[in-house]
Amino acid sequence: MRERNVMLLHYATGLAILLFGGIHIWTLFFTYPFQGTIWETTMRFDSMPYAILPVYRNTLLALSLLGLLVSTTIHAFNGLRIILAELIGKRNIWIERGLFAIGAFLVIYGTRTILIAHMLV
Amino acid sequence: MEAVRFRVHRFRPEDGHRGSFREYQVPKKKGMTVLDGLIYIKENLDPTLSVRYSCRMAICGSCGMRVNGMEVLACNTQIVELEKKVITVEPMKNYPLIKDIVVDMSEFFVKQKNLKTWLIRKDVVEQENPTRQYAQTEEELEKILQFTYCIQCGLCYSACPVVSNLPQFLGPQALMKLYRYLADNRDEGEDRLAAVDKFEGVWRCHFAGSCSTVCPKGVDPALAIQLLRRAALK
Repeated sequence: MRERNVMLLHYATGLAILLFGGIHIWTLFFTYPFQGTIWETTMRFDSMPYAILPVYRNTLLALSLLGLLVSTTIHAFNGLRIILAELIGKRNIWIERGLFAIGAFLVIYGTRTILIAHMLV
Repeated sequence: MEAVRFRVHRFRPEDGHRGSFREYQVPKKKGMTVLDGLIYIKENLDPTLSVRYSCRMAICGSCGMRVNGMEVLACNTQIVELEKKVITVEPMKNYPLIKDIVVDMSEFFVKQKNLKTWLIRKDVVEQENPTRQYAQTEEELEKILQFTYCIQCGLCYSACPVVSNLPQFLGPQALMKLYRYLADNRDEGEDRLAAVDKFEGVWRCHFAGSCSTVCPKGVDPALAIQLLRRAALK
């Protein structure tokens, strides 16, 4: 992949984080009632409507969370790739492959979690 | 006569250490530049001091160095302007040191040469034996004018924090020079952008802007890099 495309993706994911992050915060803080701390509310599966995870039964919100996950991962790991290259003083292809693998794992694992939340009854 | 204290970096490669500072008292005169002070030291106090200079009027770009921590041309820096009792003179950063305050600028010029920073025309025969002028309008010239003032002194390369961390980075001067030819309507060079669209190319600039701050000719390499990025994204 050419560096131009990588950086274009970097800029696009930066904007996407603002969009999806905004939706995420807006959804959680302004549309759903909280009971107790954020942690308690998040982990409460039993007493609707005081539960956050079922929010993601809504397909659009689940997709927006997926968008947030993917954009944050791409943006963060590309940033880390650049920081590490400058820290080491040269580009290391194995570090880049390692970062790509960790990022891919995070996306797959996160997608699985979002899918589980989406299919919650 | 009032004297000023020069604290000059000394380094001999055969000594095998990182260098040290030596102090000299130099009589202060009106209009005296840092280069004048260094020449006084070399002629009267210590002939072993190595200094690179030539034109003494900020045209050749030979006497680039760090004075009191700032990249400057020694011939263009008056002692009274510094308003310090001690003047610390160091070599430019990001270059291998040859001796005292003289650095090896080969890599700097190689990076520029690799980008083919000269006018390229498709008709090479005609370019070698031109039959007419390559005319430009005022507007076309205006786009590149400030970038043509570069004297290749290398101060921007020394001030660049990215070059310090990532020596492969092409550096502000080479990228600015490339933009100067990319934006030149007379140039017909192909793949100019491809040469900088790589990891160590135009994307690594952090826009710290120190290159533009230290340029003695008022060139803005940071702007050129941003314009180059815009061109690369089109």
